[in-house]
Amino acid sequence: MEIIKSSRNNIPVLQLKGRFDAHEVEPVNAWLAGQTQAGSAKIVVNLESVNFIDSTALSTLVRGLKLCREKGGDLHVCSLQQPVRVIFELTRLDKAFDIFSGEEDAVKGF
Amino acid sequence: MRIAIVTTHPPSKGSLNEYAYHFVRFLKTKVENVQEIILLLDELPQGGEYPSEQNQAQVPVRSVPCWRFNAPDNAIQIRRAVREVNPDIVLFNIQFASFGDGKVSATLGLLTPWLLKLDGRKVVVLLHNIMETVNLKSAGFGNNPVLEAVIRLFGNIITRFILKADWVAVTIPKYVEILESKYGAKNALLAPHGSFEEPTDAEPNPMPGGKPTVMTFGKFGTYKTVDLLVEAHAVLLKKHPDMRLVIAGTDSPNAAGYLQGVRERYAHVPNVEYTGYVAEEDVPRIFGEAWVVAFPYTSTTGSSGVLHQAGGYGKAVVLPNLGDFAELVLEEGYDAEFFEPTSSTSLAESIAKVIEHPERQQEIGLRNYTAANGLPITEVVDWYLIHFEELLKKQQPS
Repeated sequence: MEIIKSSRNNIPVLQLKGRFDAHEVEPVNAWLAGQTQAGSAKIVVNLESVNFIDSTALSTLVRGLKLCREKGGDLHVCSLQQPVRVIFELTRLDKAFDIFSGEEDAVKGF
Repeated sequence: MRIAIVTTHPPSKGSLNEYAYHFVRFLKTKVENVQEIILLLDELPQGGEYPSEQNQAQVPVRSVPCWRFNAPDNAIQIRRAVREVNPDIVLFNIQFASFGDGKVSATLGLLTPWLLKLDGRKVVVLLHNIMETVNLKSAGFGNNPVLEAVIRLFGNIITRFILKADWVAVTIPKYVEILESKYGAKNALLAPHGSFEEPTDAEPNPMPGGKPTVMTFGKFGTYKTVDLLVEAHAVLLKKHPDMRLVIAGTDSPNAAGYLQGVRERYAHVPNVEYTGYVAEEDVPRIFGEAWVVAFPYTSTTGSSGVLHQAGGYGKAVVLPNLGDFAELVLEEGYDAEFFEPTSSTSLAESIAKVIEHPERQQEIGLRNYTAANGLPITEVVDWYLIHFEELLKKQQPS
């Protein structure tokens, strides 16, 4: 999986590409923990190029959401492909996350 | 929030007690989100009492024994207890036979979530199996096709009542699909089972040495039977005379006397050890000694806690070629040797593929270790807390 780190309007953005599963979560975990420890409570994760997500990867995003909300912020996800959206819906975590159609909207959503 | 959980819990030996133990073990660490946990438990036999342990650094846990396996009035008793403790959320940790092995007691108990909804409670049900995937014959219900059809009809009706809960969580994606397609459910959700073991830096031990040991773990006699496994063991002994078979666990509440019957039927088969009930502190040793963990199931009732445990210890497993298990392996990254669920020869061949091929034993064990450690139950608990918070937000005035 490819990981691209950037920033938009001072909001840290993580773009993931490929298969996001149990074998790929460590760097994402580390990045999310690092960002929140550094004081960023508002984070965007762009899943536009993720074609598969498993429960462990989803749990990584839940952990990030929890970290952000504990600091008064939020974690927005955006640009879900259909197979990824299905997993969010199956777990009803689509109710817990704010999900946006694109990165720009996700940043503006804060 | 204050959470009540309707469940069994050790020292009760009722079904799903172990899941509850691990769920509560992690839930009580969530001090930022939870103020109190109230366990609405089955009464212990002979007036036994649940131990009271409080850790100041953790969420307080209160045990309220208020129902009995097979009692017809469990719904009333639980409803009364809920009124007294007045929690924000009630979570049920149940399967179809949680409240009894009699049709009346089982059915009436399963109406409890609906009764609590009538009282205006926030109710979440973790349903470990659904009627559509239960083999009624092997689960101890239904002796003839007409009776089975009647039970299934009642099962469908009961499922509709259970679906009156705010959320019904199941552990397998297919169950969500069935609840949505057959019952039109909009409130079914997938909540992964999760691993009981905490992630550890310690290396898994798929190849413990000693005598080749096949272990099976559970409550036996309904859909988990060991006859086939003992027969497979007898076949393997011809090639591996020092091989051990460890049958760890007790009779299912629905099949009293089953294991004694097995002992008598297979008294001529050597190297078979029956452990009886396995206390929590003995679980690591039992799993640690195993070369392979076998699942001689004829049907399944959901995701398997034992599979997650086996993974946590880095063990190779042999699984029946049943849809649920195959799906679980696929979905959650486990690996296994599969066997035909009615063939002892097939089971023996699958076990041999593991114990005679150390590289395969290691490969499966390490893969299962990765899968089991991928999603520990502490994170699954976080998923529940997120759902609970969303539910509680709904009732707050905007």
